[in-house]
Amino acid sequence: MPEAIQKDSLIGKRITKLDAPEKAGGKTRYIHDIDLPGQLHGKILRSTRIHALIKRIDTAAAKALPGVHAVITAADVPYQRPIGVAKDHFPLKTDRVRSLRDEIAAVAAETEAIAEAALKLIKVEYEDLPVLSDPNDSLKPGAPLIHPEPHGATAKHDHLKQAQGIAYLGKPDNIAMVFDYQQGDVAQGERESDVVLEHTFHLHYVTHCCMGVSGIIAEFDSSGNLLMNSNTQVPFLHKREFAEILNMDPARIRIIQPPIGGGFGSKLDIYPFEPITVFLAKATGRPVKLVFTREEEFLASPTRQPVILTLRSGCRKDGTLTFRTVSTLHDNGAYTSWGATTPFVMMQTISSLYRVPHCLYHTKAVYTNNPYAGSFRGYGNLQATFAVEQHMDMMAAAIGMDPLAFRLKNAQDPGEVTPQGMHFKSCGFKECLTTAAEASGFQAKFKANEADKAKPGRFKRGVGMASMLHVGGGAKIYPSDGCGTILKMDDFGSVTLITGASEIGQGSETVLAQLVCEELGVPLSAVRVINNDTEITPWDVGVHASRTTFIAGNSAIGAAKKARGKILDAAAKMAGLDAADLDLRAGHIVEAKSGTVVMTLAKLLRQLHFSDKAELVMTSFYYEPPSKHQDKHFKGDVSAAYAWATQVVEVEVDTDTGIVRLLKVTGAHDVGRILNRLGLEGQIEGGIVMGQGYALTEELMVENGVVRNPGFRDYKLVTAPEIPEMDVRFIETMDGEGPQGAKGVGEAPAICIAAATANAIHNATGVRIMALPFTPEKVYRALHAARKEAA
Amino acid sequence: MTALDNYVAPTSLEQAVVQLQELGEVTILAGGTDLMPQSHAGRVKFKRTLMNIRRIPELHGIVREGDEIRIGALTTITELMEHPLVREHLPLLVEAGDHFASAQIRNAGTVGGNICNASPAGDTLVPLMVLGAHVELASKPDDTLFRRSMPLPEFFVGPGKTRLAPAELLTAVRVPIPPKGFVARFHKFGTRPALDISAISIGVGGVLKNGVFTDVRVAFGAVAPTPVCGCAAQEVLEGKRLDAATIAAAAAAARDEVHPISDVRASAWYRKEMIHNMTKRILEDVSANH
Ligand SMILES: Cc1cc2nc3c(=O)[nH]c(=O)nc-3n(C[C@H](O)[C@H](O)[C@H](O)COP(=O)(O)OP(=O)(O)OC[C@H]3O[C@@H](n4cnc5c(N)ncnc54)[C@H](O)[C@@H]3O)c2cc1C
Repeated sequence: MPEAIQKDSLIGKRITKLDAPEKAGGKTRYIHDIDLPGQLHGKILRSTRIHALIKRIDTAAAKALPGVHAVITAADVPYQRPIGVAKDHFPLKTDRVRSLRDEIAAVAAETEAIAEAALKLIKVEYEDLPVLSDPNDSLKPGAPLIHPEPHGATAKHDHLKQAQGIAYLGKPDNIAMVFDYQQGDVAQGERESDVVLEHTFHLHYVTHCCMGVSGIIAEFDSSGNLLMNSNTQVPFLHKREFAEILNMDPARIRIIQPPIGGGFGSKLDIYPFEPITVFLAKATGRPVKLVFTREEEFLASPTRQPVILTLRSGCRKDGTLTFRTVSTLHDNGAYTSWGATTPFVMMQTISSLYRVPHCLYHTKAVYTNNPYAGSFRGYGNLQATFAVEQHMDMMAAAIGMDPLAFRLKNAQDPGEVTPQGMHFKSCGFKECLTTAAEASGFQAKFKANEADKAKPGRFKRGVGMASMLHVGGGAKIYPSDGCGTILKMDDFGSVTLITGASEIGQGSETVLAQLVCEELGVPLSAVRVINNDTEITPWDVGVHASRTTFIAGNSAIGAAKKARGKILDAAAKMAGLDAADLDLRAGHIVEAKSGTVVMTLAKLLRQLHFSDKAELVMTSFYYEPPSKHQDKHFKGDVSAAYAWATQVVEVEVDTDTGIVRLLKVTGAHDVGRILNRLGLEGQIEGGIVMGQGYALTEELMVENGVVRNPGFRDYKLVTAPEIPEMDVRFIETMDGEGPQGAKGVGEAPAICIAAATANAIHNATGVRIMALPFTPEKVYRALHAARKEAA
Repeated sequence: MTALDNYVAPTSLEQAVVQLQELGEVTILAGGTDLMPQSHAGRVKFKRTLMNIRRIPELHGIVREGDEIRIGALTTITELMEHPLVREHLPLLVEAGDHFASAQIRNAGTVGGNICNASPAGDTLVPLMVLGAHVELASKPDDTLFRRSMPLPEFFVGPGKTRLAPAELLTAVRVPIPPKGFVARFHKFGTRPALDISAISIGVGGVLKNGVFTDVRVAFGAVAPTPVCGCAAQEVLEGKRLDAATIAAAAAAARDEVHPISDVRASAWYRKEMIHNMTKRILEDVSANH
């Protein structure tokens, strides 16, 4: 036993993720690797028409195929209920299909090959309907309706109309969702402006491209309990929602999450394949596994929300912002998922990234026959930032002000409560701006490039900046934004941390374990994290909104603090010392001042356990952040903390080809406090690359309702040689509410890149492009048009 | 994927061509890097028999035969890039290999497969055309082994279509060793630096002596159903000095002679622009470095 132990901390260190050895060793068992005894394989027949009535489905030949256990259509599941954010979506389509991904029938068979063969034997007769592929057309008078009333057209679904709260009755127009927000008086703002600009920005379809595709295994036990192995990001919300959809008692539903091969928001909603697999399990009485092919993942998993955004903004000659008016058209696709609600987040950037006294904001999500959008890292913020930050550069240029100075003049300070009601208790925005600008040499480069841009030469250099504001302390969207923790210690000083928070590769297990170590003075190797079984773990709202480190972290700290209190009290009693003078270090109880060892933690735990008043150290804690729901005018403080960042992007534009190379990204991120430096770096670097793909290479090409590039050959993820040099700086503002002062930053790094790249291309070439992505052909066309105009 | 009835793996050329003749309905498998994705996507249906040709020694290896270099059909792109004969005499093929797919695909994909797959975007095709390559074909219609050879451009009929007869095997490609003073360039234009399918590609070769460019060959990839000769550009360049006026005229001729399509990778207009700009760039580079 050592004599004395000095205080040590894991906070801020570079710590390898706990699951790294398993993953790097190829031993992680993803849903693909799980096979249950007696398991059947499910496959889904999707529509071959974009918009059509289903006249007849003939499944006889498929049912007759040896090895097929069930073939189901909507007619076989009259009890099915609509799913999704607006409950406008039957898992199996009843009378019509509204997009190419639509599910018509499903098969459960002994092998995937048999299931596949059975799909080919199903005959479907359609009657085509006119296709809406442009959201502008959906709004035209007389446009065909995508969800005519009454839904389903037949009396078969009458029971749904009575079913409380979930009845889906169709829509009299093609408008799926609207958001309206107002602060101040934009007319007054416009009167006070010296410069007014208005432009329309076009944001495209991209998709998550998780390495682990969508999948589920569903089984019922003999008592009718449903067990799902699922990749969901929101197990507890799903438990409730599945109960509703399946008309089951939620207590009979258990969700286990095998290690998830990427989420990024794609697994926040329930998608048709999930209830369909449950139907198949019910129909066959066997476990049914359904895992997407990569092509299916491209066709039938959600996308980022495409948006057409018109921004009108103004400022005074002195650089003060005066107003912003925004109207958007969101292409909702055929059904409503979380994409339709992205205006909720976009609004925060528009109203509160900078100080703007007057804002008016109208958004419309309209139905089309295109794929539908879900939630995706950044949740609308990439789109809003793309427009807002380009306008910041354009306004700065219009009044002859340096882009950095213009931003600094309007940037938020700590303590600010914005007109929308967001309270910035910690705010390192100005420090982010100056740090990123100084580290990158932004101002000098900006001027030099500006001067070089008219000179002859094929390659042009440009530098551009953009900043972002995003929730960093959870987001109060549901009645609760909380997370529960159960912590138990064994007789050997090991800790089992049972948390509601899901791990989707972001490294939450590691950070939570670290926070517990900090309180209990145990090494990281002494902590096990259990986080993937609704039957065991306490409630959590889900892994989204950059919330896990903040919310689950505070919850874990709460449970650990309680355990610490118990241990120190017991130790104090045993040693005849004062608990306040004791500390826990490296698995020992020590005197806080000197570090003198009193006893080992394991020994104390055993003495507690095997004493007269036998006691095991077990604690639990539930953390609910002090954030507030917005009122019906969208005002309120939705997050307990807000994250800030500025990114400076340097590009080289090849004017012969239009190829834009990202040379360097310098980022300054207000992260509250660094917990795991390695994890944080990984999160930021990965986010930058995701932002880069959004800016430059990725595009799900949707033409007349058809996805033209459902594969990695023509859907272009960024490859290793394209990844830029990165210089990432962390600003530690020590948030008062954050776990050890930290804020959530999961989404932050992806948000600014496209906007900063747009500004950099302009700095390099003088050409401003307001549509994404900046593919070589798009850039070349813009350069070509500018050259022609100049000639 | 299609279910297979029959799988054969002949161990000699003789055996392979006999089986091809006898079995009739055969799909040939080399590296499988085209075949397998195409089959998974349902674009290619396996015929009754799948023939793995990788165990045929005669299809492997790179050797010098007189004034020619014979590259066996099963030569992988990696082997091609690393072979001393290729590096010494045909550096153009090394350049092409450098931009070909990824290391994994280069280790599996073969030159023969690239040629027989007959994609207009196949990255060895344009350089091989510029080098004046011939394909070597073998079959056994009766009792004797029948070999024939044809200039590469003649081999291609359309996307995925060649003059390969049903029971014929491509055994090798033969490339004449270029004369002294031969210079050549290949440029693959894709939208990213790695793992990309060419949106267009350009190859230029010829003998540069005392500033004059002769025996010029120009070829383009991904602008027509097959890789094509840049005959008009070739004509502009033949016997000329590579001065600014000639380069401009050749680039303009190149742009005017191609008739590409628009697809997910690029529009026809952009392809023509890139043919122009890249032809110009290549010629300027040749002129500046020689
Ligand atoms: C991820 C990826 C990236 C790629 N990138 C590129 C790229 O950058 N550039 C490029 O050009 N290609 C690329 N390809 C395509 C492919 O790798 C090449 O065309 C490769 O050279 C094919 O060779 P293989 O041996 O794999 O052919 P296989 O797939 O085995 O065969 C291709 C076709 O040729 C036939 N065949 C093969 N050998 C013979 C023979 N000796 N006689 C008669 N018929 C024969 C087969 O029956 C088949 O129809 C890529 C493919 C993938 C999967």
